Amino acid sequence: MSDVARLFLLLSIPGLPLLLAIALTFPALRRVTLLLAPWAAFPALVLSLSMKPGITLELPWLLFGTRLGIDETARIFLCFTALLWLVAGVYAVGYFKDCSSRSRFFTWFLLSMAGNLGLILAQDMIIFYSFFALMSFASYGLVIHDRSSEALRAGRVYIILVVVGEVLLLAAFAYVAQAAGSIALEAARPAVAGSEARDLIIGLTLLGFGIKAGVIGLHVWLPLAHPVAPAPASAVLSGTMIAAGLLGWLRILPLGEAAFPGWGGLMIVAGIAAAFYAILVGLLQSCPKTVLAYSSVSKMGIMTVAVGLGLVEPDNWPLILSAILIYVLHHGLAKGALFLGAGLAAIPPASKRQRFVLIAGLLLAALSLAGAPLTSGMIAKNLLKVQATSVSPPWGDWLPILLPLSAVATSMLMARFLSLVWLQRKCTSAAQATPKAMWLSWIALLVVVALAPLFISLADPQNHWTAKTMISAFWPVALGGGFAVCFWLYGWRRGITWSFNVPPGDLLIFVERRLCSLATSGRAFGLETLPKWRLSFLAGWQRFRDGSELSSVLDSGENRLGYWAIATTLYLVLALAFIFLAAR
Amino acid sequence: MIWDDWLPLLIVLSSLSVGLVIFFLPEDRVATRTGLNLVGALLKLVLVGFMLWGVFQGHQYETRLPLLPGLDLVLRADPLSMLFVLLSSVLWLVTTVYAIGYLEDSPHRSRFFGFFSLCVTATVGVALAGNLITFVLFYELLTLTTYPLIVHRGTEVARRAGRSYLTYTVAGGALLLAGTVWLYAITGTVEFTERGFLSGLDASLHPVFIIIFTLLIGGLGVKAALIPLHGWLVQAMVAPAPVSALLHAVAVVKAGAFGIVRVVYDVYGIDFAAGLGVTLPLAILAAATVIYGSLRALFQDDLKRRLAFSTVSQVSYIILGIAVVGPVAAIGGLVHLVHQGVMKITLFFCAGNLAETLGIHRISEMNGVGRRMPWTMAAFTIGALGMIGVPPLAGFVSKWYLGLGALDAGQDWVIFILAGSSLLNAGYYLPVLYAVWFNEPPDAWSDERYFGRHETAWALLVPPVVTALLTLAMGLLASVPLSPLYWARIITTLEYLP
Repeated sequence: MSDVARLFLLLSIPGLPLLLAIALTFPALRRVTLLLAPWAAFPALVLSLSMKPGITLELPWLLFGTRLGIDETARIFLCFTALLWLVAGVYAVGYFKDCSSRSRFFTWFLLSMAGNLGLILAQDMIIFYSFFALMSFASYGLVIHDRSSEALRAGRVYIILVVVGEVLLLAAFAYVAQAAGSIALEAARPAVAGSEARDLIIGLTLLGFGIKAGVIGLHVWLPLAHPVAPAPASAVLSGTMIAAGLLGWLRILPLGEAAFPGWGGLMIVAGIAAAFYAILVGLLQSCPKTVLAYSSVSKMGIMTVAVGLGLVEPDNWPLILSAILIYVLHHGLAKGALFLGAGLAAIPPASKRQRFVLIAGLLLAALSLAGAPLTSGMIAKNLLKVQATSVSPPWGDWLPILLPLSAVATSMLMARFLSLVWLQRKCTSAAQATPKAMWLSWIALLVVVALAPLFISLADPQNHWTAKTMISAFWPVALGGGFAVCFWLYGWRRGITWSFNVPPGDLLIFVERRLCSLATSGRAFGLETLPKWRLSFLAGWQRFRDGSELSSVLDSGENRLGYWAIATTLYLVLALAFIFLAAR
Repeated sequence: MIWDDWLPLLIVLSSLSVGLVIFFLPEDRVATRTGLNLVGALLKLVLVGFMLWGVFQGHQYETRLPLLPGLDLVLRADPLSMLFVLLSSVLWLVTTVYAIGYLEDSPHRSRFFGFFSLCVTATVGVALAGNLITFVLFYELLTLTTYPLIVHRGTEVARRAGRSYLTYTVAGGALLLAGTVWLYAITGTVEFTERGFLSGLDASLHPVFIIIFTLLIGGLGVKAALIPLHGWLVQAMVAPAPVSALLHAVAVVKAGAFGIVRVVYDVYGIDFAAGLGVTLPLAILAAATVIYGSLRALFQDDLKRRLAFSTVSQVSYIILGIAVVGPVAAIGGLVHLVHQGVMKITLFFCAGNLAETLGIHRISEMNGVGRRMPWTMAAFTIGALGMIGVPPLAGFVSKWYLGLGALDAGQDWVIFILAGSSLLNAGYYLPVLYAVWFNEPPDAWSDERYFGRHETAWALLVPPVVTALLTLAMGLLASVPLSPLYWARIITTLEYLP
């Protein structure tokens, strides 16, 4: 490919979905656009597979001077992100049979896609922030697509956290740009490491991107929003958009620059806590998609641990980074396949064979996610474990124990998911034809999931196929599966859950109630108390004026100057304070 | 060259003459009046474009007329005035088109458009004023010509708002005049000078300068709606939509903010003002206004009231940017002078369209209105998202430079003010957008008018769409030469670099 063609292709990665989204708003173009829309991620996939990294495109006239490009990190993110968007797009054609809701869905879908793909290419902070905002705001439309009361509630929680995240990130980026003296992303990490405000920057970045990545405590929107979205949207929300938060960390945090044991330790602890807590809550859920959402929180916890390792051990960063990249790729593909499969499972099967294919496919994806032998999950987990072992104490001592335990827990969660799908199947009876587009796209994705370990070991020189690796990948899955069988016999199969119940959104429930009452009282303060204060202030002023000699002189017309008089008084007081402050 | 001497005056006269002719036009000469309005606005735009090109080439434009012995009426073009003149002439053209559509078939149009033209005359005069006394003259003229526009409808509410407006602004004008005269008595000059003309004077005068500063800011702060002097602005929203649009975007509020920039930069000089210690209190006052305005906006159900409180908040960004004392923050403040104008005029146009087409005045009535008026509400959405500071819209450029500049100047607290204000902005704009696009529309609108195939009249629809596109362009193309950001950079270089 010539350079011009490649640059054009690069620009079309965010440009094509953006143009299609705009075209969808014109009724005359709708029919043609809807034919093209599912394929909008195609240029991104082509470019991520064909191009050598290192290409950049300068657009000095855009924003404050924009740079787009593909480096090694971006290439891997682009690869699985584009694939998942493509699969989800084709899947959505079958999912939305009637045209009006399909075009509504695709408008938001394409906008989110443009943001997601664009932020991967971003090489400067401003365009990164812009695409990140586009993705975050546009996916609100995906979350509330159904307009059910759960969807609207999830949307409300989601959008509030998005806005908070955007604001935190704006502050963080301003600090970084000030420290770096440039908006280039490559300047960010060294600048943060050397900045005086580095603790503030790291804190703001952790929180700002942590909302997207579902860090524990900030994850509350995720189990609400991911399940209520239509299945193709859930797949990209949980498979790729969640990873955008991780990419943000990789771009901004001073990884590989200097050691930050404090922050690193915090991330490791937070990550481990998320990994186990989310599984615990996830096991108590009774909707399959909610279980998957909690599994995403748990997996993002593991990736948080990995980023924490990078902050603790800057020298190992290149190896840790490649472990993270493989982990996020693996998780995106497997989680996408699970969510799309869950969407298929919600439709009663047409035949026994179809049902068999469905369960087998879900089992494959679930095993991959749990890190069973011969899956990409095994390789990803193994790479991470090697890094966790070589890290300095105390982390190096107990991380190698905790990581396999988390695999046990994941296996149980996946078994729980499969059991829920199995039960769901039995409850429904009326069979109807499932659209082909859904099946074909899902099976294509499953093929990629199945072949992923092969591709990874081709690209990675290390030998992952030793007996020791196999064994260490096997026992957690077997143990988790064993526990799950016990649970199944004890009660899962009868549809009995637990005597106590944690609603999706767990921690949110406590906060939400308090926030609601705070908002109510805040509203009451703004609408009732404040005006009341003003009135009583005015009344006091009136009494004062009526009582004095002055009032008899003033005629009634001048009484209207009341407001003005107050303003002047305040002005005088302020002026005195002003002079006092300045003269000090 | 003769152009160099008279161009500033010609620009002022272009709208003055139109205004005076329109006063004497009979009410039913609609075509003549419309033609005159448009020709006047276009002519001004052409002249301003010509002057812009000249200033860009390094020409000096100055009109100097003797006013009193030792005191001249000076109109001068410098980069700062070009920023404001360009903003007002572009938005004036747009608002004129809008006003023609808005006031179709309503009474007293000659009176309205006459004062409308006088009002732009005053604003352009404020922008081009080359010394403080010229500034004060046009500033007062602005007060007087805006009053008839605010009370145009003649209702009791409108007249009350007009009275409140006059009381506030005349009192403010008096403070401004007092400060100006005092300054003139001490220094013998009130000529605007780059980096101010006070720094060379005796140190014993500094306390007096602080008091004069307080007077000047008090006078200008009324129009700029700094708390606690903002009360008139919210009442004045009863005016017809085009008047509110220009009041909030260009004329009155901006004249105040622009005046504060002039006083800080060209009377005191930023370094001298910072040395006197007056900038920090000003920054604190501006920050308090930013937060207070947003807080109040949160609780308004009347759309125009919510927009009005939002103006109180947003205009103070300009003052905050100046008072933070640093080149980057100054760019943010100055560029917001333009950005806020374009965004807010879009929002007020849209509010006017809702009122005129569907009889909607309250946010609680706006459910599903995006389906009935998609273009208007698309423009509204761009304006509102811009105000929140969502990239890549104009408001983001302002906020980015303000935040970066605050850090640059070592005033980290400002960034948290910006963050808090952005949260509040989102809090009062996003629910409106939600209601507009995602709620179900009612069965019937309260007072619907039909315009054939289109959602509303052309003259009402084109202006907000144009300004919304400008909002997008000013963000996306921020680095292109002659963008507002580009001008703001030039102005700041003049003020800060040696």
